[in-house]
Amino acid sequence: MRILAPSRPTTKAGPARKDFRWTPYWFMLPYLLFFLLFRLGPSLAGLGISFTNWQVAGTTKFVGLANFQAMPHDTRLLDAVKNTVVFTALTVPLLIVLSLALAMLLNQRRKGRTFGRVAAFTPFVMMSTVIGILWTWILEKDFGLLNMYLGRKIPWLVDSDVAMYSIVITTVWWTVGYDMVLFLAGLQDIPRDVYEAAEIDGANKFQVFRRVTIPMLAPTIFLVVLLTVTNSFQVFDQVYVMTAGGPGTATLTLVQYIYTVAFQFQKFGYGSAVALLLFVILIGFTLLQMRAYRRGVEGVGA
Amino acid sequence: MNRKLFALAGLLVLVGILALAPTKAAAATLEVWGGWTGPDAEVVKVLVKEWNEKNPSAQVNLTLQQWSPLFDAFLVAAGAKKSPDILAMHPVEMAQFVDKGLLLPLDDVLAGTQINASNYAPNVWEANKYKGKLYGVPMDFHMYGLFYNVDLVKKAGVQIPKEPMNAEQFLKVARALTLDKNGKHPGEAGFDPANIVQYAVNQHTNHHAFYQWWGLYHQLGGTLISDDGKRCVLDIDNATKAWQWLQDLVYTHHVAPQGQTDYPRDFLSGRTVMLVSGPWERPAFVAATKEKNFNWAVAPYPVIFRTRAVWGAGTNFTIPTYSDPAKRATAVKFMESLAASPKWAQTAQVPVFKGMMNSADFKAIPGWEVFAEQLPYEKMLPSTPKFNEIFSASAPTPMMVLGQNIILKKADPRTESQKACTAITGILSIP
Repeated sequence: MRILAPSRPTTKAGPARKDFRWTPYWFMLPYLLFFLLFRLGPSLAGLGISFTNWQVAGTTKFVGLANFQAMPHDTRLLDAVKNTVVFTALTVPLLIVLSLALAMLLNQRRKGRTFGRVAAFTPFVMMSTVIGILWTWILEKDFGLLNMYLGRKIPWLVDSDVAMYSIVITTVWWTVGYDMVLFLAGLQDIPRDVYEAAEIDGANKFQVFRRVTIPMLAPTIFLVVLLTVTNSFQVFDQVYVMTAGGPGTATLTLVQYIYTVAFQFQKFGYGSAVALLLFVILIGFTLLQMRAYRRGVEGVGA
Repeated sequence: MNRKLFALAGLLVLVGILALAPTKAAAATLEVWGGWTGPDAEVVKVLVKEWNEKNPSAQVNLTLQQWSPLFDAFLVAAGAKKSPDILAMHPVEMAQFVDKGLLLPLDDVLAGTQINASNYAPNVWEANKYKGKLYGVPMDFHMYGLFYNVDLVKKAGVQIPKEPMNAEQFLKVARALTLDKNGKHPGEAGFDPANIVQYAVNQHTNHHAFYQWWGLYHQLGGTLISDDGKRCVLDIDNATKAWQWLQDLVYTHHVAPQGQTDYPRDFLSGRTVMLVSGPWERPAFVAATKEKNFNWAVAPYPVIFRTRAVWGAGTNFTIPTYSDPAKRATAVKFMESLAASPKWAQTAQVPVFKGMMNSADFKAIPGWEVFAEQLPYEKMLPSTPKFNEIFSASAPTPMMVLGQNIILKKADPRTESQKACTAITGILSIP
């Protein structure tokens, strides 16, 4: 959304003030208030709380770095970090490849294109808890739909070696449509004459994909990777509904652990510290990715 | 343009004032919070409605929510020094709130009422105390029983006695009730454990795996938490024996399924012939009898080891510290009326107020005598301020990890028990 900046025509004497417009700022005001009250404010409060042993009720003490010092010895936290990284490493490449493939397929003018787009996107409009309940039923070991068709009793959600893959499959099925839409928008932004020029030059389909489509899609790919990684690191809903982090701690994720520590164990200080850890991880990754993207852009000479 | 802007701004301000303006003060009512969400919720609603009809000047506003988010809401309210007037919970959960100064001791508050030790069994009364003081008004207890499908038991040619079975009797019955697709039983030549079509009994994979173990562990004797509440003092040998029994039902004797998740459903469908569960299941089974002639009965929980013990829990009412003192007398009257009401038995739990177990309401639901008889043998989880960190059923607590590793992953019970005990000591040792 482009925000109309107030126009400031300058004269020899300096910028003219009488044409300054407050209108855009009035429209931004409700969201700004919301952002301050419900995003920035609590985030800053969380930063402060991470240095205390706040339990909502009872006495609160400043504990300095104690919460952070406890982290390397917290085996459940280490499991949560490991599981979240594994989930991200499995989900992101699958989502990128599948959503791009779907977008390429459904970008072509052919029969059923609209149906295909709707079918791919529809799961994404469902609530995460509904997805979790639905897939819990599909993956149920003894009476689930999937095992019924496979004719086997695979313990999709009750075997610690398999449960994480089940969560990944569920998540990819649920969100591939959203990434597909982003890629579709990116594909449709590529000018037709670039493809025509490539055809004239004798490029085959693979060469066109590699030399034209991918470079032209680079900003979209960057955005999709960034969003997918960020969302994957914050996975919670479907995991909580399907396995509650189990069996044992096999599917325990960082956000679930933050919720568990803060709201179930009532250790808001430590929970805030773990939330800060997640923030640092995500910021670090985002900066790395932006740097890689800028280097890629410079290398291409764009 | 400026006039329009001012008009818009004025409208926004007006909307804001109206949204934030306090509503007309409601008539003083008793705020009661509880976590009943199943059929028992309907019973509580009826009792509240009857109270409200009889007490127009002392109305009760009942708020129902699942237990876990209910306690979250309670903590947040308490952080602002606000509370409901009555909060229902389970005795084992009291310690964590008492430790934060959020519950009132009730010894003086209940003086002169019917809620006194003489109207309750000793173990019921003591279970509602913490560090020697009473914090809960006992409402009911509930513990495991052994439900069974009468028709399938008859078809197998076995009998389930009225007295609790011992290990040998239980295994004999369990083998007879387990069938593979060729009609073979465990132990018979040609029995195929990969194709069992009917299991004898369920095996929990959730927090109830630990609860079952808890009863079995107490049948052997042992405690979990030291008297000073600072470390785990698990008897590893007895803990291992109790876990091994449960693990062997699945992997050695093949009489219980692996990875089971919906125990009542499997019982109703005939996939399992017996079901270890509590009196709360009975309304659904009574309905199944009416709808499809499902023929069921319940026996006492087996005594597998030395002495009789069975896991159980209970429900109580507490008075939060930040409740309105002006409404306290009314709160006590309300709790007294519900505690002494025979209709509490309609929640399908075991009402604990003296004489309630002889009421027609309690005897109306089949199986009442089994649960009533087990009351003295009920063993609750220990009270500790770190209850949620150790025993929460919806978090990766030592309890959950221990049970799931042993039952789902077939992990070594001794190693897992030692790991859990170390984790519990770690939790308890942090003030």
